[in-house]
Amino acid sequence: MGFVAPLVLMGLGALAIPVLIHLIQRERKRVVEFPSLMFLRKIPYQSVRRRRIRDWLLLVMRLAALALIVVAFARPFFRRSELAAATQNGAREAVILVDTSYSMEYGDRWPKAKAAAADAIRTLGPGDRASLVFFSSGAEVAVRSAADHGRLESALAAAASGPGATRYAPALKLAGSLLAESALPRREIILISDFQRRGWEQTPGRDDVKLPDRTTLTPVNVASGETANLSVTPVSLQRTRFENHDRIVVTAGVVNRGTKPVTGTTLALDVDGQTIQSLATDVAPGGSSSVTFNPFTVASRNMRGTVRLPADGLKRDNVFHFVVSPSEPVRLIVVNRGGAEREALYLSRALAISESPRVELTARTPATVTDADLRLAAVVLVNDVQVPDELADRLTRFVAAGGGLLVAAGPHATWPAHAADTLPGLPGDPVDRTTSTPSRLGSLEYSHPIFELFRAPRTGDFSAARFYGFRAVQKPTGQVLARFDDGTPALMESKDRKAGAGRVLLWTSTMDLEWNDLPVKPVFLPFIHTVTKYLAVFTEPPASLTVGQVIPAPRKIPGRGAGPARGGTIAVAPSGARVSIETEDGALELGEQGFYDVRTQGAGADSATTLASNVDLSESDLSPLDPRELAAAVAGRAPGDPAGPGHGRPSDEAQAQAQRLWWYLLVAGGLLLAAETLLSNRLSQNGARVS
Amino acid sequence: MDPVVLARVGNLELVARSVVDGFINGMHRSPYFGASVDFAEHRGYTAGDDIRRVDWKLFGRTDRFYIKEYEADTNANFACLLDVSKSMAFGSRGITKLDYGRILAACLTYLVHKQRDRVGFAAFDDDIVELVPPSAKHMDVTLHVLDRLKPSKPGRLMPPMKKLAETFARRGLLVLVSDFYEDPEAVLEAVAPLRFRGHDMIVFHVLDPAEIEFGYDQASAFEDLESGEQIPVVPEALADQYRSLVREHSEALRSKFAELRIDYALLNTRAPLDHALFSYLSMREQMSRVR
Repeated sequence: MGFVAPLVLMGLGALAIPVLIHLIQRERKRVVEFPSLMFLRKIPYQSVRRRRIRDWLLLVMRLAALALIVVAFARPFFRRSELAAATQNGAREAVILVDTSYSMEYGDRWPKAKAAAADAIRTLGPGDRASLVFFSSGAEVAVRSAADHGRLESALAAAASGPGATRYAPALKLAGSLLAESALPRREIILISDFQRRGWEQTPGRDDVKLPDRTTLTPVNVASGETANLSVTPVSLQRTRFENHDRIVVTAGVVNRGTKPVTGTTLALDVDGQTIQSLATDVAPGGSSSVTFNPFTVASRNMRGTVRLPADGLKRDNVFHFVVSPSEPVRLIVVNRGGAEREALYLSRALAISESPRVELTARTPATVTDADLRLAAVVLVNDVQVPDELADRLTRFVAAGGGLLVAAGPHATWPAHAADTLPGLPGDPVDRTTSTPSRLGSLEYSHPIFELFRAPRTGDFSAARFYGFRAVQKPTGQVLARFDDGTPALMESKDRKAGAGRVLLWTSTMDLEWNDLPVKPVFLPFIHTVTKYLAVFTEPPASLTVGQVIPAPRKIPGRGAGPARGGTIAVAPSGARVSIETEDGALELGEQGFYDVRTQGAGADSATTLASNVDLSESDLSPLDPRELAAAVAGRAPGDPAGPGHGRPSDEAQAQAQRLWWYLLVAGGLLLAAETLLSNRLSQNGARVS
Repeated sequence: MDPVVLARVGNLELVARSVVDGFINGMHRSPYFGASVDFAEHRGYTAGDDIRRVDWKLFGRTDRFYIKEYEADTNANFACLLDVSKSMAFGSRGITKLDYGRILAACLTYLVHKQRDRVGFAAFDDDIVELVPPSAKHMDVTLHVLDRLKPSKPGRLMPPMKKLAETFARRGLLVLVSDFYEDPEAVLEAVAPLRFRGHDMIVFHVLDPAEIEFGYDQASAFEDLESGEQIPVVPEALADQYRSLVREHSEALRSKFAELRIDYALLNTRAPLDHALFSYLSMREQMSRVR
């Protein structure tokens, strides 16, 4: 038995108060002012009566009540040994969390972690149950709440560290949910890790970690000693165009995570398995340096590049993979009126200098557009043309197959009414502003991808362009992306696209100088590029990905492949494992470091895509976290004795239980005071009656 | 009229007028009004008498000098001596003894002023606090002084009475209002010099009902208003003894004052002021024949 606030016991001195009240103050309850005590003083007074204690019971009750209250405020509690004896009875539900991130491959961390887990399994009592969870950036239950040591040990023996990065929050959440399901009285989490600071700090979800009541967190730290580690940073690829070929300049960096300088370390660039250049560099402790390799030409699709450092204590962060392919052009057909090809001059010049993506522009008239053209094209631009029914039908089918369509409605443009659903609205009557103030673009939908680029100030002034003529819109059904200053739609997009269908835009003026001067404004160039990119659904393929990332299955885009896919998609992992991905809504989670080959069955070798998967380089920072800090953050208190899983600290609830004695003492003191009040009233009434 | 109600009326003159006028109108015949001009008797001239008071007609008939004596001196001095010691600040039912005495003094002053007598006033505790010499023009001053009296110190009769005896040299009527928390012997000793100077005296012993009846029931510490001394008191045990002591004190005062031919009246602040005025006037009637 001990006291949380032993100094409060000095308050026991207050026990003298009732005695003093009895002896001195008992009858001075009220002061009555009286003109003169002349007569009262003459009356003999029994002063001796109040110096004698008459009600011993009353006195004892008052003393006892005061003593109880004072002791209650001193917060008595049972000592830990007494408590531990009480709480160590009962079976235990344990969750053994084993860190499998690649930082565990440093030194002897992984063998130590396995040994610690084996120890934890051995200390399980006959009635105890344990779950075995391996975690890195995610957490996976290997064995769920088993009493069988054999199962646990075999699962542990089969475990290996992986390319993942340490994230404690998901693992602790999973452990919490496993323990919450348990009905056993004692709950414990044994966290075996190298406790990297990056695994806890600045990670999402750490504030949401909440362990069930009476859960003990026992950290087992397998990291020891000083660490030294070099790692590659993500490379930067700069693409240039030279003689109709793409050239890539690779810039790579090295980070020194150790405390000693590194001199003459060599960075090598491998492309398709061949080392094309090696460069030496020096790195200061805690610093970084970068090197730029000579450019190499991208000769074929899916060229595999790797930047590597010499192997050190942690090998996985010494390589960085990337994939490069020749940039795919976006094929675009401009449909002009016969004999009016020059009207597309500004358009064609603007698109010709587009680099990302490159645009292959083909000029056609309504009569010369062929099915082959449409099959290869990603975008069709109908430039102020009277569209015949037959072409409208084909364009409708083109859009339904995923193609992008832009209709510029100048003075000559028409669109058949029967295909009106394809467009967001039909071109209506021309509005002439040549004799009055020219219109300007008033409001733009900056949240739309086309105009998002121009959201920031001074990034393109659309209001500088003057519009002398435009078409009103009949039966508008689409979303208005830009309006003239009189509210008339300038750019509209079809809504309610069907699955797989392409995007359709309606521009209600011309793309040349006939009705407006937009083509000679600086904003025209980026505007046309973003429109093309948007219609072509163009995204730059990532050169590298990170382990743990989930990517959707490659989507068939017109103009990028040779025909629709007829079968499922298969991914071949770096280890050679084959993963089948459903074509619709399929996704691939990258679980290994290296190159993945993704093939669509029956689509030919050209459709194959290579993905470069790299480890999360933040894991290469081996700076440690104090396990007690983590335990305190999760449980709100210091961790238990890390020597063994059986010596956990009592939970908050158990401690509160141990200190709850004060509450009973306080209630007893209050009851005694109430009884004393009743008794003293009764006695004083009786006394008055007698007198 | 209830003294508590009167105490709430701020204007003392108004209070005095309403009490006195109402009182006088209720009488069938004034026992006092005009009595002072009536002829009383003749007496032989002695050296030193004012020759203006010689009855020359009688001298013509008898060839002797006679002085005419009248029933009263029409322009008598009147002064009210009010105790303003701290014990007078006691009041258990809305009016303190001092307020009661203040109104009483105001009423008497007003009444006497209507008689065209000279009015004066003195307030005292253990010394003279306020003094307004008797004058026919001093009613307003008296009422003003009365109005702003505040009890501040413990009281003792002897020193102020001694001074007042020297101050009021000319004979007159003195009304002493106090709660007389002193030994009857000491009280008498203090008052006697005034009486010996030839003043007619009326003594009003003002007490609160709580002082007379001692209706307390809870054991309490009783604090002396003047000395601040506290003693524990169990009223149930002391009440009877206390009441008999008060009674004895009052009787002792009455008998002692009677010896000096001083009229004594015990006034309970619960009683209407009419009672006090009636006591005063009935006594004045008895004393109306001066010599």
